[in-house]
Amino acid sequence: MKARVSYILSKLLEFILTLLLVSLLTFAAFSIIPGDTASAILGPDATPEQLAILREKLGLNVPLYQRYLSWLGGAFTGNLGESTAFGVPVSELIASRLPVTLGLSAIALVIVIVIAYPSAILSSRKPGKTLDQVFSVFGHISFAIPQFVLSLIVILLCSTVFNYFQVGKYVEPSKDFLAYINCLLLPAFCVSVPKIAMTFKFLRASILAEKGSDYVRTSKSRGLSDIKIMFKHILPNSTVSVITALSVVLADLLGGSLVVEQVFNLPGLGRLLIQAISRRDFPLLSGIVFYLATMMVILYFVTDILISIVDPRIKMGEGGQ
Amino acid sequence: MNSRKYNKTYFIVGALFLGIIVLSFILSLFGVGGDPETTSSATKLLAPSSSHIMGTDNLGRDLFARVLSASKYTLFISITGVLVSLTLGTIIGILAGYYGGWIDRVLMLLSNTIMCFPGILLALVAVAVWGPSLFNVIWALGIVFSPSFARVYRTEVIKVKNKEYILNAKILGVSSLRIMAIHIFPNVFTQIIPAVVIGLANMTLFESAMSYLGLGVQPPKASYGKILADAQSYIRVAPWLVIFPAIMLVIYILGLYFISEGIRGDQ
Repeated sequence: MKARVSYILSKLLEFILTLLLVSLLTFAAFSIIPGDTASAILGPDATPEQLAILREKLGLNVPLYQRYLSWLGGAFTGNLGESTAFGVPVSELIASRLPVTLGLSAIALVIVIVIAYPSAILSSRKPGKTLDQVFSVFGHISFAIPQFVLSLIVILLCSTVFNYFQVGKYVEPSKDFLAYINCLLLPAFCVSVPKIAMTFKFLRASILAEKGSDYVRTSKSRGLSDIKIMFKHILPNSTVSVITALSVVLADLLGGSLVVEQVFNLPGLGRLLIQAISRRDFPLLSGIVFYLATMMVILYFVTDILISIVDPRIKMGEGGQ
Repeated sequence: MNSRKYNKTYFIVGALFLGIIVLSFILSLFGVGGDPETTSSATKLLAPSSSHIMGTDNLGRDLFARVLSASKYTLFISITGVLVSLTLGTIIGILAGYYGGWIDRVLMLLSNTIMCFPGILLALVAVAVWGPSLFNVIWALGIVFSPSFARVYRTEVIKVKNKEYILNAKILGVSSLRIMAIHIFPNVFTQIIPAVVIGLANMTLFESAMSYLGLGVQPPKASYGKILADAQSYIRVAPWLVIFPAIMLVIYILGLYFISEGIRGDQ
């Protein structure tokens, strides 16, 4: 118990340090620019008056460390200033786009799990045989197709051959939840495909490792059916060992959503990001970067804690056994 | 025996796929297919034919010439990007693994932090702040991928650092720098080859997505991502504009994955 508390405390310390480092890196990326932020935003044609006004607005006249501290304070209270391109608070803009990106990643995660689990179970029944090899070749191919290319192919097929999907159509979840899911389904599929292969690979390896272990043999000798052993013993144990992999998958799904949104013309964070980049809206950009990275840091922290709870075998850092 | 043959097949198919890209790179050097940047209003959106075997795009440029020329940037960016991240990762990983202690903790905290940013986001933002140029794309990708190399190195260095020959070298008074450079680095490097091959593939996945979003290779230079982005508006009338560059891009990445699978099996 003592070991677990000290493990959680050390993870918490790491979590806080990482979060601070994330904020420092984000702030530094947009502040330590040759020239200064105001001239970077306005470009070479800006007049001295325009520059002075923007410097005042962005608070560039105070020392760097003070700016960092006030930015940090704002970041944790959800106040990251105003977007220079849209003239609305950054946090408001991000909150309005979040349902698309998070929805896309969440649906993609469901698709990953729904497809990866059954295929990993089937594939691990007879490793090295035809079905296993077919799955693994498919896995390689789906790894190799960039998500935006797959999106283009899907759009090509759907708009010309099947005439089913409308690109760029988006319904807000508060208006019609089913229509919202329907709009995101195909894009989410495109986001998920390479990650299905990744999850499949981890899961298959993990199931095969469990299958060879002593307790499975014992259960078999006690007459338990293969199906029962698979669902009661092997799958829960394999899932524990792929939780970390799943958190990486989720992070990648989020990154993938940013790109795929752009192909399907969905109004999510990815599109906001590209708009912010093309209009050199640095307050908005730093907001998007900071919040997305923070989500990841939280995700990894929760995963670490979750694993230490469900899997007592986990090494409790240097302090415990 | 069977699995050995299976891995060999992967390797051969992968090498063939890679050969296609290298061949198109060589052909592009000799100007096969004509100039990839010449526009012509007379040849807009022509379907594949004997004079334009892959058709032409909305500005009348020959797609075959553009696809060949794009292989040049894909190869260049992926190789130089891997070199940058390999160099950074090697330094970070060897230092962290060899010294351990607080140096290890600080370096790993830093690389874990970089890994917390979704990679594509980090690369896009770096290019946005520095300006979209070929070298900034390479730097951005190099930095984004360096933590993954650092991790592999660190693990391998920890494995070998307590081996007898290293300890002997220490007793003989060999300097730490020399131990790392002459004794550890070459021993660990062979372990990192599969990671390099996968790195090339991942680098290409990222570069093509960045070019697609307009923040990678800049026009009029041809890159698969940019060709595909331009093609999207004509996807109904000119599907060949999507199909050919997509196939080439996938062939390169798939070739690399197959090769890494082939090498891994041999070990």
